[in-house]
Amino acid sequence: MNDSAVASDHEGRAARAALWLLASVTMVFLLAPMLVIVAVSFNDAALFSFPPQRWSARWYAALWESRVWREAGWLSLWLASLVALASLAIGVPAAYGLAKGQFRGRRIVEAVLISPMVVPVIVLALGLYMLFSAAGMIGTPAALFLAHTLLALPVVIVIVGAAFRRQDLAIELAARACGATFARAFWHVVLPSVRPAVIAAAAFAFLTSFDEVVLVLFLGGPRTTTIPKKIWESVKFELDPSLTAVSTILIAVSVAALLVAQVAARRRSA
Amino acid sequence: MTDRSGPSRRAMLLSGASLTIASPFVHLGAARADNREIVVASWGGSRTTAMREVMFAPFEQATGIRVRDDGPPEAAKVKAMVESGNVTWDILDTDIPAILAMVNAKLLEPIDYAKIDKAKLARIPSVLHHPYGLGHLIYSFNIVYNTKTFPNGTQPKTWAEVWDGVRFKGARCFPFRGGLSPQLEFAAIADGVSVDKVYPLDIERAWSSMDRLRPLVTKWYATHAEAIQLLSSGEIDICCTIGPRGLVAKKEGAPIDVEFAGGKLAPDNWAIVKGARNTEAIYQFLNFVIDGKVQAELAKRIPYGPSSQDAFAHLSEAESRQLNTSPENLAKQFWTDIEWWGKVAENGKTNNENQIERYARWMVKRA
Amino acid sequence: MTALAASGDLAGPANRAWRARPGLMVIGALLFCAIVYLGPLLSLIGWAFRDPKTGWSLLQLYRVATDDAYHLAFLVTFRIAAVSTLICVLIGYPYAYLMATSGPRLATLLAAAVMIPFWSSVLARSLAWMILLGRKGVINEWLIATGLIERPLALLFNSIGVQIGMVHVLLPFMVLPIWAVMARLDARLPRAARSLGASPTQAFLHVTLPLSLPGLAAGATLVFMFAIGFYVTPALLGGPDDLTIASLIEMEVRDLLDWPFGAMLSLALLALVGAIFAVGAVFAGARRLAGMEGR
Repeated sequence: MNDSAVASDHEGRAARAALWLLASVTMVFLLAPMLVIVAVSFNDAALFSFPPQRWSARWYAALWESRVWREAGWLSLWLASLVALASLAIGVPAAYGLAKGQFRGRRIVEAVLISPMVVPVIVLALGLYMLFSAAGMIGTPAALFLAHTLLALPVVIVIVGAAFRRQDLAIELAARACGATFARAFWHVVLPSVRPAVIAAAAFAFLTSFDEVVLVLFLGGPRTTTIPKKIWESVKFELDPSLTAVSTILIAVSVAALLVAQVAARRRSA
Repeated sequence: MTDRSGPSRRAMLLSGASLTIASPFVHLGAARADNREIVVASWGGSRTTAMREVMFAPFEQATGIRVRDDGPPEAAKVKAMVESGNVTWDILDTDIPAILAMVNAKLLEPIDYAKIDKAKLARIPSVLHHPYGLGHLIYSFNIVYNTKTFPNGTQPKTWAEVWDGVRFKGARCFPFRGGLSPQLEFAAIADGVSVDKVYPLDIERAWSSMDRLRPLVTKWYATHAEAIQLLSSGEIDICCTIGPRGLVAKKEGAPIDVEFAGGKLAPDNWAIVKGARNTEAIYQFLNFVIDGKVQAELAKRIPYGPSSQDAFAHLSEAESRQLNTSPENLAKQFWTDIEWWGKVAENGKTNNENQIERYARWMVKRA
Repeated sequence: MTALAASGDLAGPANRAWRARPGLMVIGALLFCAIVYLGPLLSLIGWAFRDPKTGWSLLQLYRVATDDAYHLAFLVTFRIAAVSTLICVLIGYPYAYLMATSGPRLATLLAAAVMIPFWSSVLARSLAWMILLGRKGVINEWLIATGLIERPLALLFNSIGVQIGMVHVLLPFMVLPIWAVMARLDARLPRAARSLGASPTQAFLHVTLPLSLPGLAAGATLVFMFAIGFYVTPALLGGPDDLTIASLIEMEVRDLLDWPFGAMLSLALLALVGAIFAVGAVFAGARRLAGMEGR
């Protein structure tokens, strides 16, 4: 018993080491292009060259001074946040219903709710254009909000749905048996049990909207300029490093936010 | 983008935000029915910034007609606008393939040349007076090459030389999708057709010539910016791309140069959307912006050639030498025959459409 | 809890109402889609099947069914998507496993590495890959400098470049769903297996892996479906062999303004993806019958 325990301990540790090796290589793979992007953003010439022949922060200065980029940043941030909230509000219950419910046509409903992901975005954009044009909404943030939520919904449903499928039915039963109403059981017991999935879904829903450009181009107007739209514009005729400067700023902000969250969490648990 | 009219953008954003949360169906578009405003759809970025500086702002001051800019002038969006009956753009700044596609789909108003200033019009080459588009900015497809691979004048100077992978070794890239692709004229010329006999194109001859080019091409690129990037980094040695953009990169220090000989000129045009309402204001705008002086100012900021030969009277020697429509460079190049590309072939589609589709097929099936 | 189950109370009317309720939760989503999605879907079908002159027409269907250039493009698209999904599974599953079974600091590090690339646009990343993968790019220069190879590897403008670029974008969509399911797996279960004498490998294969399958299925679904719609990455990093149907649909709809044909191609794409998932569901259904999924 002891020998086999030790042997399997070794096996466990060797396996774990191998996993970490693979994960490290993966991390290098993930971050290498990021290093290139950051380096290119400090290029003094209006060229996408690496490594830069001369270094300067001129693209950052240009972004800092540009009111248009700042407003695009705020619009993107605010729009993506609303989209994340809305797609969670609609998608989490839907995921629950699809995972736990047993009604006829459930698979078809699931397919329909997920299908916006597969429809080519240009075709979706034109179809939505017709709809929003009839409602007089072309060029409004509201149209983008609805369109992006439609695009983010499938992601929420798939991710949270998987977590609900894995969820132990018993905990919900237990809460109900203790006298909780369905709503209370849902909010206080069911949801926390799928929290990682909800967090992941929220992140993806946010990023789906933050990164999206085709719908913005077709459904938007002069007053709905988002970051991807500005990036697309600047690439159409020039190829200067300002899009890498934007990316670097966003990465820096997100890393900073992550560090702040880490420190706050540690302080709370201390 | 640089719309400075109306309340501050932050106020608009905040009110838009609260309205969105409160009620998602509020119409936020500004009213357009008055004669004091036109909307120009252009490409954004430095191009629109330059246009606002030298065209829109002076025009607003001179006439009191407000110019709002929007964009980009996607043909599909114009089609959606016209079909839904909700046309919000008046003037488009766009290229010939888009115009041909839109003409075919009946999305444009013909330009009433009677309303255009005759003197100014005469200074623009007549080949640019398309029934549905008036050429104003000229770009060109040229041989753009890496100066490290081809220093001191050793670069290919004709398309036949570009097709010659033995004497001119190097990776090539050609455009696939975007601009007047495929580059059948160059294929025909490389095969021996003389420039003045290029049109009407011998399509089959051009395609067999393309077959001979295929093994030499390392990358069929989708955006011209990508081509310039590949040239600068040395991945590609010879490229068929927009000459003026190559010159911009050269100014920034990239090891790139442009051979204007044998190049093909093509215009960006002003076009009028079907159903655009403020016709008077539109023609006032057009007459204003085809002025040689205005075009010269634009040429100082955007590397493309002005269409009006008047513009060169307002440019210095150094400035005009770089432009692809300077008298010197103009002589080396030929004009795209817009009529040929727009001609309807036997199957009811334009040559442009047919060849774009054939190009996709040729690429996918290797045949 | 067990007492309650044993009491048989679950068979009562309260239980029936409770069981009916979950299904109703999809109403919100269905309503939203009815308002926002139904119109575009009808437009799509309208474009695909109607001819302005003759009313209903099957011309586009005929075109799609007979044009083998487009069939090739469909095959290319599915090939690219399938390979991307496979690579993401092979790389992403172990990564997610580590994330779920490591301490908070390491898990955060792994999560950050996988999420940071999201903050750069797909375009910036593709251009960065061009710099890294080119014949004169960073990777080849380094490999030649260290003497590992003599001539540069062709990593760009072919399927290798496309896969590298796509996996880089899609990996988070595989890692996070798997992690989300694994993070809530009862850690006592594999430990129990170990204490009963199973080796770590056996514990993993027979306990952890089956329990994490919904996460894996979700990740594979997301990656595959996103991959099918990609056209920027294959256009920038690929060669002629990597021309996807999404690119061609873009061309038809945006450049040629041939909306009927583009719409029919889109419907064909939807149908094909639906068929693939229907086949997958049959397999999943079989597995559920065998009792491998806990429901």
